[in-house]
Amino acid sequence: MLDKTLAMQLSKYGLWCGLATVVLALICYTLVLVLAKTPRPEPAMAQAGGHSGGGVATDERTPPVAPAQAGGLAQYGTYFTWLSLVFVTGCLFFLTVGTGHGPFTNMYEFSVSFAWGILVAYVYFERRYHVRTIGLLILPITAAFMIYAMYLGASSNPLMPALENPPLLITHIAVAVLAYGAFAVSFAAAVLYLVQPEGGRPGLPKPALLDEMGYRAVIIGFPLLTLTVALGALWADKAWGSYWTWDPKETASLITWLIYGAYLHARVARGWVGRRAAWLLVIGFASVLFTFFGNLFFSGSLHSYAK
Amino acid sequence: MSQDVHTRPAEPGARESIDGLDNPDGGASVSGADALNRLWRFFISMRTGLWLILALGLLSLAGTPPFLDQAPKGMSADPTAYTQWLATEHVKYGGWTSLLDKLGMFSVFESIWFKGIAVLLATSILACSVNRAPRLWKLAFHPRTRMGQTFFTHAPLRASLLVPADQAAAAESVREVLKSHHFRTVNDPEDDGVNLYADRFRWGPFGTVMAHLSFVMIIVGVYLTQSPMSFKDQNFVAPVGDRVAVGHGTGLVIEAKSFEDTYYDSGSPKDYVSVLALYKNGVLVKTQPVRVNHPLTSDGVSFYQSFFGMAARMKVTDASGKAIYEQGVPLSFTSDDGARSIGQFKLPANGLTVEVALPASGKTDPEIKAGQASVAVFKDGAKNAVGSEIADMGKSSTIDGLTYTFERTNKYTGLIVGRDRGANFIWLGSTLLVVGLLMVFFFPHRRIWVRIRTTAGGSEILCASTMKRDAAFKPQFNQLITDIQLAGTPSSTTQKAGQNDA
Repeated sequence: MLDKTLAMQLSKYGLWCGLATVVLALICYTLVLVLAKTPRPEPAMAQAGGHSGGGVATDERTPPVAPAQAGGLAQYGTYFTWLSLVFVTGCLFFLTVGTGHGPFTNMYEFSVSFAWGILVAYVYFERRYHVRTIGLLILPITAAFMIYAMYLGASSNPLMPALENPPLLITHIAVAVLAYGAFAVSFAAAVLYLVQPEGGRPGLPKPALLDEMGYRAVIIGFPLLTLTVALGALWADKAWGSYWTWDPKETASLITWLIYGAYLHARVARGWVGRRAAWLLVIGFASVLFTFFGNLFFSGSLHSYAK
Repeated sequence: MSQDVHTRPAEPGARESIDGLDNPDGGASVSGADALNRLWRFFISMRTGLWLILALGLLSLAGTPPFLDQAPKGMSADPTAYTQWLATEHVKYGGWTSLLDKLGMFSVFESIWFKGIAVLLATSILACSVNRAPRLWKLAFHPRTRMGQTFFTHAPLRASLLVPADQAAAAESVREVLKSHHFRTVNDPEDDGVNLYADRFRWGPFGTVMAHLSFVMIIVGVYLTQSPMSFKDQNFVAPVGDRVAVGHGTGLVIEAKSFEDTYYDSGSPKDYVSVLALYKNGVLVKTQPVRVNHPLTSDGVSFYQSFFGMAARMKVTDASGKAIYEQGVPLSFTSDDGARSIGQFKLPANGLTVEVALPASGKTDPEIKAGQASVAVFKDGAKNAVGSEIADMGKSSTIDGLTYTFERTNKYTGLIVGRDRGANFIWLGSTLLVVGLLMVFFFPHRRIWVRIRTTAGGSEILCASTMKRDAAFKPQFNQLITDIQLAGTPSSTTQKAGQNDA
């Protein structure tokens, strides 16, 4: 059995390495952006059989800062993000061993988990859409969460009675951080959408692709957020005797859920596509951050142990 | 052999004529200026739903602490306490306090606005579901199995192939390819050729109805939770060793056999556990340790560990020596100076209220020594005590004709006791919501229409599909066309291998 102190130390190293590799990936992507003097030519329009996998046809793929096949610096950037995901996963694993419970019980653990959720979502969407440009927005957010976690520092305090529910502790929060990761991707896609004129801007992914990415991220994140809220209600019913108490954290989660619910309806309502929908994604992620950091100023919240 | 695949979206006008679902507002299907029609159109409008969701979100936001303080739960039932609380809020909100109070903004989630919008949203959801369900049913079970030539030249996803096979063989090969891609196929022959309709996940769109109705189910669950069919006692006190009736017509009586609180070396709490015995009509039903996260549930009534404290066990006898009270009195209150823990109990038959006070834990009181309790007796409604004594543990004192004995101190466990008739609706609604969302997002109804006609060199195969908010279908459609093309070409295997080698 691994010594707990050693596990905590390894977890710490994992976080440091995770941060270092995220920063390296960010440097690679930034250099690619700086060095890219001319946009790459548009790929040919799709022909039957000429496309293998992926969620969007190639004719809508735009010349991102660095397409997957470009190799070089951009590819190294991708490798660094993979490495970072491995390191942060290791960090969480050793944190679990060191604390003896799922790494979801205080702001340090939440922050590392949030960074992990964002990395998972980024790696998935980068592989699916071959768009690294969103990394320029997402990776700084990931790094910020890691730095915030380092600032807080790890602790291995034992669990209080309300948190003594391993299955729900793990599922409720793990599902939440994955949802938040997906919403981070939708946020980055929305920002890139909004900074462009209608026809797009050379060097950036086309608005239609970003719109599609944002939507795909939300249709993954929204069921996960729904599950998070439902599992939270189930847990609250077990631990606090009510499935819903209008605790500020619950309310903030509901607001987030409503915003993304509005976004999904906006996509099919006339006049709400495009920029308005993109703004909803930005507001939605602001709500995610509000929900996440809410513990810091929700005095008297039943979730206040999460400080 | 030739092939032409189009994946560009057609003009907006053309799309509307292709797929009625592209007009989800449903406005076109309902016309007329009468009030009912207008109301119906209002409720089935996607925009109505959208604005209601946003309004509900904004109200919820207003009810979170950084924006507006919310009155503690249940305080509105106590006008005096609420007025005092409002006075403290005046410091923060100044002249706005009265207006905010009148608008119910200090109890946002109980306000008419919040409940009204929730009801409007539920109505809108119901109306949309009713409006949409027949169309979804028709699309799934009575689909349009043939399309005109225009569709095949304007659909967002379309392809035309020329294969050397005759019409029947081409149709068979297309059918086989579609089946291999897990599509259901429906044959619809015409005089001049063959039409095929193929679809997959035709039950997927019902996820929309399921998800929306589940939301209504959750709102019904919330209503049932708040209805008189349910109850919740947040401050149920059970002194260890005493039997306490649950009430609310349950016929249940609970007895706390023990209570134990344990702590880590750091002083933080480790566990709170009450061993509870539950009786119904005097018969023991269940004995169970109850701790946080592990409630006791029986007959739909649940007992949750919530709080704990010390109690003073008191015995009161009348002049004949008959015990009229014998129970632990929870010392739930603390004196203003923090020096005393205070509890009280009533003797309704005598019109008396008895206040018992002990030195608070870790405090000393000049009047009450360790092992003593202060007992003060009040006539109901009177401010001044009719008598009071400092009682030694185990010794009796007589006040106004009744004998009071402070027997000992013991612990009490504080429980939340409740019966929630709405909870099962919440769980079922939540499950259906998640399942419905997964169905609608990850199993979209995919439809392909195929038109096969004989040409001079063999057969012309036209394939087309809508791509309604389902960009992920495009590559699959392309792959399907490739497979149809390969299947319709006699040397397809060789060709494919050659392509791969290249």
